[in-house]
Amino acid sequence: MPSPEPDDLKRLAERIDEAERKHAQRKKPPPPTSLGIAFRFATEMVSALLVGGGLGWGIDWAFDHWSHLQTRPWGMVVMFVLGAAAGIRNVMAAAKELNAEMAAKDLEK
Amino acid sequence: MAMNPMEQFEVKPILEHPLFQIAGHDIFFTNQALLMCVAVAAAALFLTFSVTRGRLVPTRLQSMAEVSYEFVANMIKSTAGDDGMVFFPFVFTIFTFVLFCNFFGMIPGAFTPTSQIIVTLALAAVVMLTVVVTGFIVHGLGFFKLFVPKAPFLLLILLVPIEIISFLTRLVSLSVRLFANMLAGHTMLAVFASFVIALGAAGGILSLLSITPMFMIVFIGALEMLVAFLQAYVFAILTCIYLNEALHLHEHH
Repeated sequence: MPSPEPDDLKRLAERIDEAERKHAQRKKPPPPTSLGIAFRFATEMVSALLVGGGLGWGIDWAFDHWSHLQTRPWGMVVMFVLGAAAGIRNVMAAAKELNAEMAAKDLEK
Repeated sequence: MAMNPMEQFEVKPILEHPLFQIAGHDIFFTNQALLMCVAVAAAALFLTFSVTRGRLVPTRLQSMAEVSYEFVANMIKSTAGDDGMVFFPFVFTIFTFVLFCNFFGMIPGAFTPTSQIIVTLALAAVVMLTVVVTGFIVHGLGFFKLFVPKAPFLLLILLVPIEIISFLTRLVSLSVRLFANMLAGHTMLAVFASFVIALGAAGGILSLLSITPMFMIVFIGALEMLVAFLQAYVFAILTCIYLNEALHLHEHH
């Protein structure tokens, strides 16, 4: 069997690369819908509040249960506020991510 | 005629007798367990049979399996880098499981396992545990640097608790996102379906109107198909992003 020409192989490699690039472009997932974006921000914020409040409640409970210190309701108050801060931080991070995604999509066009 | 749109989310035992007991609690085989078994079995059968006779020119089934492999592999490489490929089996399992659960839930009358928060919470807990364990294996105690942003020392007193809370938040947001999307979509379908029946039973001109919510169901059903895929994708890609952070800490920002 005669070995294929190097030129042919190179051309074939180029065509494969080209096809792969097109393939990868086509397989990008659909962009998030506005409802999806709104939902994402809402869950980020609410879950941070839940985690913050829950941690605070747990801290108060632990102090109440294991020691004679009365921290209630300050643990929950402080942790709830920290949770709100964490929630806002999460939403900002998510927004930054989305912005970068949108910018990348615009560049492609 | 009252139809409860939440009735579809009721977990009911399908076998009369409990399978076994754990600490005095009866463990039943429920519709939930059945659908999860079906999803796992279907995914396993599909992936096994589609590639048993691997061909150079793939058949339709085989190319579906290949595309899903490439899809997840690209997802991991683009978010966690090449060394993230260690986690390919993990991410692929999670992606396929969530995808099949979501899609089996779309069959009318079937139960949606991912509409139960306990299922999604367990999945998210597995992901977060993997992230923490990986972090400690790769970086040792240096993993705690994840919670220390670059800031003046006094601010750190405030920022470190915030970072810790926002890390713990992922557990909740990861599980709530999937669960709420499935719950909302399926409730909406059931509500519109009950409109069709109510209008149809009303008689006269109202019966003719019952065709409009029927059209809505078609549209929402199509949208739910998209959501079913999208949520599986989101769950998998967030897993990759979190694994990336555990592998590389702050390097890739």
